[in-house]
Amino acid sequence: MRPSFVGAGLVALGVGCATAADAQGVLTDARRIGMGGLGLEQSSLRRFNAAYRAVPARSGQRGQPKLTIPIPLGLVQFLHDHPHISKDPAFNRDSAGFDPVLVLNTVLNLPLFLEVKKAPTPTNDVVFGIGKDSLRANLGLTATLVPQDQFGISASSRPLDPGIDIKGVRVGVMGWLHDELQFQLGDKLLGFLADSQQAAHNTTYDVLVHGMVQGGLAPTVSYAGRIAGDTALGLYVGGALHYYLGVGYFRTDGTAGDSIGNPIFARPLNPVGQTVTRYSKAGNSLGHGVGGDVGFALVTGPIEIGVGVNDIGATITWPDTRTDTAFYKDSTVAGAGPSVAYSRPGPNHVETKTKLPVSYIANLAYTVGKTTLGADVLNTGRGSLVHVGGEQRVGVFVLRGGVARDQRKRMEFGWGGGLRFGGLGLDLGFWTHTNSLSNQRGITMATSLSIY
Amino acid sequence: MKVKWLGVLLLSAAVAAACGQGRAIFNVDVYSFLQGTGKDTVSYFVPAGVSASASSAPQKVNLPGVGSSLVDSVRAFGTADLRNATGAGTIGLQVYLAADSAGTFNPSALALTVPTKNVSGTSTTADTIRGDISAALNALFTKSQLWIRFQATASNPPPSVTPLQGKAVLTSLLLTVIIEDKFF
Repeated sequence: MRPSFVGAGLVALGVGCATAADAQGVLTDARRIGMGGLGLEQSSLRRFNAAYRAVPARSGQRGQPKLTIPIPLGLVQFLHDHPHISKDPAFNRDSAGFDPVLVLNTVLNLPLFLEVKKAPTPTNDVVFGIGKDSLRANLGLTATLVPQDQFGISASSRPLDPGIDIKGVRVGVMGWLHDELQFQLGDKLLGFLADSQQAAHNTTYDVLVHGMVQGGLAPTVSYAGRIAGDTALGLYVGGALHYYLGVGYFRTDGTAGDSIGNPIFARPLNPVGQTVTRYSKAGNSLGHGVGGDVGFALVTGPIEIGVGVNDIGATITWPDTRTDTAFYKDSTVAGAGPSVAYSRPGPNHVETKTKLPVSYIANLAYTVGKTTLGADVLNTGRGSLVHVGGEQRVGVFVLRGGVARDQRKRMEFGWGGGLRFGGLGLDLGFWTHTNSLSNQRGITMATSLSIY
Repeated sequence: MKVKWLGVLLLSAAVAAACGQGRAIFNVDVYSFLQGTGKDTVSYFVPAGVSASASSAPQKVNLPGVGSSLVDSVRAFGTADLRNATGAGTIGLQVYLAADSAGTFNPSALALTVPTKNVSGTSTTADTIRGDISAALNALFTKSQLWIRFQATASNPPPSVTPLQGKAVLTSLLLTVIIEDKFF
């Protein structure tokens, strides 16, 4: 229990300085990675712009793949580095060698793709001042990496969307899934790490933790069609009305940290954590709510402009929720008392509400000859991502490039290429990233196979 | 064990924030553990014509406890006042470190020898403690506590006929422990 507890704090700390999850979830398509994450193809725009179901394919651009399969070379590398992961001390929480930072960094940055250049790590010294009753940390320049704001990962996806189209009207059932995991350093811990403040007596240094996953189905009626113009110059609109049926959700909010005693070294480590957990399991009464998507697209010759808004007003009411509280304090570590851990059931069969984040996209594409350029701004509730990129088709080859600005306002660069033979395409993409524990960029190489 | 996890936590924080390739440096204010306990003072009394040593009682010092980490080096820096009352001669200080109280009396626990200083009459002579702790004792600094003892060796050579008497009073002592990057 101890390592996992300590791990929770460390995780927050360690990964926090780095993680800026892509709001679109994990990208597995080397073509998009080669354009810095830009979703130039209309199939990727349909997720966020309801009008794009009616927008015809761009002339000159190749067809959309039916299936894209990532080639996980990174996993090969990872398994080579950790051949016996179940016995690897770094991944075994009961081992003295347990490394929670590595574990969470692995989870948050899935090693799907090959790391061709690891982000260089800072090399400055960190200094701790220790006295009979004093403790202070000076992380030097790396204190700037300590996350000041909330950090973590989140994703909203619609993993399936079967339905029937009749003249622009579509009736279907959409699957939806939303998850988020967020951390924020408490003020005291932030001051200790980032501002080199001295540790204080009888103070808890903790991390705020928030996690949620919810999912279900949504019977949907939608429309997408051209309301003005023709294929060369047309205005397309789209809208969808969803009735969300929640199959299950789990949400936990709490803190985890260490409570320092008086004097500091008398009881230096008293792990303490508490959470409030709400959940509605599969089998309980379904959650329900109503929401909608709207979008439009304007196609004028080689230029395409679109705006989409999704999950408007999507509040899910869960009529059969249980709330539990949990508390953990391990004074045995300090030798000052027993370990106390309990989980107390709270109110059951109560009604709670959750929200799906509203997402926005604004996109622009320009196609001329064998060149397609594009840009988009995407916000899925955790800050805006900006992508600019393009591709140039040369025979069976495709060259791609792009830049992106992530939620932390860092610029990342993508480049790559592809080869297509008939119904089969092989793509390669490189993407700089700062998703590891560093302020400097590493380079990831992605490979994927597409079937057309 | 009590504070070992604190060390691991601190080092982990260092890894997490500093990303690890640098060193972790612990500046341990040893004097803060001694101040007010009387163990910062060694009284000496040496009859004429002989040499003798005197010692303070051992004092426990809490450390963060850094587990399997490797201690690269430990450097000491401090100051002491040699408050001589009578006689003339030389005073040298020694620092002993061990994992337990009794161990500080073993010759192998000698961590640092401070060069001798001349003293005479009623006067206070400032002395500086500076140097690297014996590398054989580095492993002590991975534990959650160690014990420290000070010894003063006084020499009252002929033709002096007055006893050499006074106190060696520690006024500061900082141990800088440099940890290599093997935190887990």
